Amino acid sequence: MFFYIEMERDLLLLPQHFGPNINRYLRDKLIEKVEGSCSGRYGFIICVTEVKKIGKGRIREGAGLVTFPVKFGAVVFRPFKGEVLDAKVTVVNKLGFFAEVGPLSVFVSKYLIPTDMRFDPQSNPPSYVSQVSDEQPMRVTVASEVRLKLIGMRIDASEIFAIGSIKEDYLGVL
Amino acid sequence: MSDDGGDANDAASFDDDPDEDMNMDDMGEEEADNEGEEGEGGDRVGDEIELLEDNDDAGEAVPVADRITTPYMTKYERARVLGTRALQISMNAPVLVELEGESDPLQIALKELRQRKIPITIRRFLPDGSFEDWNVDELIIPDEQNLLPREFEIDVTARSAPTFRPG
Repeated sequence: MFFYIEMERDLLLLPQHFGPNINRYLRDKLIEKVEGSCSGRYGFIICVTEVKKIGKGRIREGAGLVTFPVKFGAVVFRPFKGEVLDAKVTVVNKLGFFAEVGPLSVFVSKYLIPTDMRFDPQSNPPSYVSQVSDEQPMRVTVASEVRLKLIGMRIDASEIFAIGSIKEDYLGVL
Repeated sequence: MSDDGGDANDAASFDDDPDEDMNMDDMGEEEADNEGEEGEGGDRVGDEIELLEDNDDAGEAVPVADRITTPYMTKYERARVLGTRALQISMNAPVLVELEGESDPLQIALKELRQRKIPITIRRFLPDGSFEDWNVDELIIPDEQNLLPREFEIDVTARSAPTFRPG
């Protein structure tokens, strides 16, 4: 799910970057440091929308460097257990397949793929196929889009990894 | 100088300083010289408070109008400000005064201090944990106790210092 939240970060600035453009520099540095990063608590920081406040800096004792507390608003993507997401398949192998929801990588084990979908090692790239009657077969292969449900997540300090399922109604290839 | 004289000296400077030395130490740990570039951020006091609350149980900022500590810059503050600023200048911080051929960071820092251009705020912590912020440019910097040659300082101390004799 996406959220808009306000966060605060401390940015360390070297003396050579002081000067009239310090605010712009801090902003650039914030974006470079924060966008695309992932924290276990907030999820993936997708985009810094505005810098609310750049506080007074604090000189690091004995180092001459300065830390600035910067308050900013950002759009974050935080996945939840049970959430249904659309994902793009990246890797398929006999254990299941990996899919990506933006920055989040999700693994769907073969036990969480409907039983009528079989692994087809002959196809290139490998795929999961379900042949129901003589209709067009449903095929999960690299680059296909699937709708999946997150059933488990491992959230580390700086990484999120999820397990997904397509073994439910309305889930599967789009 | 004889051993005796040297001892007396040491003792004297010890006697003189401990109080203020303590202050110094305190500051070393807690005081933040606040650096906003070129007066930038000099007007954002609110933020500081939050920052500190995050860090520890520090008290409140004393409003500018209610400050009670000395308007003079102490020699310790002066030393620290100069040192910090010189360090920054040595690390390529933009210099805020016209240079006339100076190249020693400390000399440049001194010049900036003389012209009150050092973009640093001194945070003085009080015993109850609250603090006062003083900008370098609002402090009175006592008459150029301009860095005197070391021997001279020592000599003066030696002459005026009470001799210390146990018993």
